Amino acid sequence: MNSFIKANPSRCIGCRTCLISCVVAHEGRDLFELGYDDYKFNPRLFMVKTSMVTAPVHCRHCETPACKSACASGAISLEGERVMVNANKCIGCKNCVLACPFGAMDIVETGQVLPDGQPRRVALKCDLCAGVADSPACVRVCLTDALELVTDQELRDEIADKRRAAVEGGYFPASI
Amino acid sequence: MTTRQTQTTCCYCGAGCQLLFTTDIEANKILDVHPVKGRTNDDKACLKGWFGWDFLNDPQILTKRLRAPMIRKGGKHSPLEVVGWDEAIKFVADNLAKIKAKWGPDSIMGAASARGPGNEPNYLMQKFMRACVGTNNIDHCARICHAASVAGSRQTIGEGAMSLSIPEIEDAQVIFNIGYNAAASHPVVARRIVKAREKGAFIICADPRITETARISQLHLPLKGGTNLALTNGLAYVIIDEGLEDKAFIEAHTKDYEAFKEIVLSYPPEKVSEITGLRPDDIRLAARRYAGSRSSVILWGMGVTQFSQGVEVVKSLCSLAMLTGNFGRPSTGTGPVRGQNNVQGTCDMGVLPDVFPGYQSVADPEMRAKFAKAWGVKALPTEPGLQLTRVPEKVVHEKDPAKRIHAYYIFGEDPAQSDPDLAELRETLEAIDFVVVQDVFFNKTALYADAILPATSWGEHEGVYTSSDRGFQRIRKVVEPFGDIKDDWEIICLISTAMGYPMKYKNTEEIWNEMINLSPKFAGATYEKIERQGSVQWPCFDKGPADKGTMYLHKGGQFATPDGRGIFKTSHYHPPTEVENNEFPLTLCTVREVGHYSARTMTGNCRTLRNLEDEPGWVEMSPRDCQALGLSANELVRITSKRGSVITRCLPTERVRPGAVYMTYQWWIGACNELTISSLDPTSRTPEYKYCAAKVEKIEDQASAEKEVRRVYTDIRSSMGIAQEGLSA
Repeated sequence: MNSFIKANPSRCIGCRTCLISCVVAHEGRDLFELGYDDYKFNPRLFMVKTSMVTAPVHCRHCETPACKSACASGAISLEGERVMVNANKCIGCKNCVLACPFGAMDIVETGQVLPDGQPRRVALKCDLCAGVADSPACVRVCLTDALELVTDQELRDEIADKRRAAVEGGYFPASI
Repeated sequence: MTTRQTQTTCCYCGAGCQLLFTTDIEANKILDVHPVKGRTNDDKACLKGWFGWDFLNDPQILTKRLRAPMIRKGGKHSPLEVVGWDEAIKFVADNLAKIKAKWGPDSIMGAASARGPGNEPNYLMQKFMRACVGTNNIDHCARICHAASVAGSRQTIGEGAMSLSIPEIEDAQVIFNIGYNAAASHPVVARRIVKAREKGAFIICADPRITETARISQLHLPLKGGTNLALTNGLAYVIIDEGLEDKAFIEAHTKDYEAFKEIVLSYPPEKVSEITGLRPDDIRLAARRYAGSRSSVILWGMGVTQFSQGVEVVKSLCSLAMLTGNFGRPSTGTGPVRGQNNVQGTCDMGVLPDVFPGYQSVADPEMRAKFAKAWGVKALPTEPGLQLTRVPEKVVHEKDPAKRIHAYYIFGEDPAQSDPDLAELRETLEAIDFVVVQDVFFNKTALYADAILPATSWGEHEGVYTSSDRGFQRIRKVVEPFGDIKDDWEIICLISTAMGYPMKYKNTEEIWNEMINLSPKFAGATYEKIERQGSVQWPCFDKGPADKGTMYLHKGGQFATPDGRGIFKTSHYHPPTEVENNEFPLTLCTVREVGHYSARTMTGNCRTLRNLEDEPGWVEMSPRDCQALGLSANELVRITSKRGSVITRCLPTERVRPGAVYMTYQWWIGACNELTISSLDPTSRTPEYKYCAAKVEKIEDQASAEKEVRRVYTDIRSSMGIAQEGLSA
């Protein structure tokens, strides 16, 4: 199974340290030397606050990604334990944005300029910090431990624990 | 490349987080910053800790660093000219001396800094004002935030600080959180509240908004703004009425209980319900839960203090803790959590009009004699000085020139952004004969300065900060400063010396040693001990290694009052000064933006923090009020009070009640203090930032409003001395 990041709303305080850490991880620390408008502030997770819930929304790295099925240019693929967007192939058609049931996909300006002078816009989402950090930056900086990387093994262990608890908890009568 | 690792204390909020910097020494460049284990933060930091150091690079987004002294040689309204230090010091010293000679020492006001400079320059600043100028007119921005907590706590329990420590919060059984939004003010403290909840604490959150703490609380009391005192008196009523008070504690450790009881017994839950809008049963439940534990903690913030009854509510909260015996053990007591990194320290240093360092009263002849002897002067001023919120009253509203303030020496503050009723404040600065601004950045107050003295920033100097829970911690130099700038303590020494009162120190440690030797509560907290322990919490009386400092106050019910007894106090409730009316039907309350800090000169110049939230800021409104005005999210709106009018962006949220609107105070365009009222608490003189009447209006032509916001932003930057260039707002 693919890995994904789980948010715990009873711990999240909505501070958005995770959003900035995502930008810094992907833009690189050089951004602190660039002109203040010479980098892109495009977090790949989104803080949501409703009346009683606070939590960031990330890509779930679905096993059958609706975004991938909907992609018109073959830009979305499964790589290792992740769903990835290839920005070079993306044409910005927004099918993935419509298809994603979580709202985890965004369309952003890349900083590149098209031949007609228009800014190039592509799909962007969580890549679990593939190639930019050893572990997801958002998980590392979260000060209330509200974010957790869930891997295939952890998910299997959790399922196994629950099944054991179900048996021991007497959900099944000993004799019928 | 040679790299160096330096640990220092974060420069934002009073949580006192420890950060480790890695720098490239040759390039004088910061390579990495991350939190490390400290007493209060474990190894965590919030977004300001992780990313808030970027202003040291001076990216000039909102304003820019000062790099050389500047003076107006041709008097008011003449241009600021760059000069050398000798000329700048002489200019300031001569003008202050002239004003002192003509109008007397009490015509000079000093405002010191709760922010970057640290304790040592603040100690020198009050010494300069008292010993050299000869006045107690010295104050700082605690006046506009937690002065009510200092005053109210000292009058009841004798000590104006958190009685418990930040780490103890997570082991409380009950947390009564009132007027305090930890998630926005101190994320690292919010973490302790989250942990307490997970460990099984019962959380009561009294706040008109659904804050993050309210969201995870078991009991949210969404009281009407400005009714805190009715609620706290009501809680005391229930506790006494149901016999839940700690009779043995009251008998053994307190006094004036009968007078307190007489007042609170006129606040039965049904009456309190009418005032606050809360259900009587919720008030009863809160009282029972609070009184029902031996580890009950009260946490409060600006939602208590920034009202004209702020001091009364603080006294009443301290009395609630005494009433239930919730003092003197771990994980219990009172927690006014301080907003700025060193606002506790600046109070500790005696940068208050009524006390010397270590909270020793200026009215006490013995104390005056002790300090006069140590400072080598014949006598020190006897009368308590002026609070900084009263400066406008003593300038624009004072008819007798002999009683006016004629000079204002402002060090590390920006009253032209942070004080209430900014129009009146600007008029005040304009009218004062001589204004000195000593700062790191060009700011709004600097526009009115006759002399500007550039100082080193946090990260460029050594010293000690005091965290909110009385913890002395070291700050260290991370990078070398550049430009013709000096450490704050050095500048103050130069001015004082030029005015005929020589001050000379080798380093901050020498200043610190002079201070602790005059302040019994801090006497044991040497640099050596602070280095060794990482943090020393006052009181720490003895220099020996056995006295490690004090985790929680009032052990065994021994209060810091003259006779050791806590004093019960409260008052009758009255409504806020300016209430909503037909013309201004909404109540405006000012709140905090988590990624920005104070007047925003620092965080507004950090690339990522600025990208997360930028001008013109937000007004939070209930969806019902938005609907009535036809407003949608992100739309620019006009918000107006009797005193001013600004543009900001609409943020509809179910977390606020209809009829109430909230603005974050860090914005220069959406500057809410153009609207706030300068109505003051009669004791603490803290302004009523949390309540005034306002109206919100729809702007039909959004395109030109957006253009206007961009134009104002450009104008602000240009007035701060930044060359014209594009800025995407």
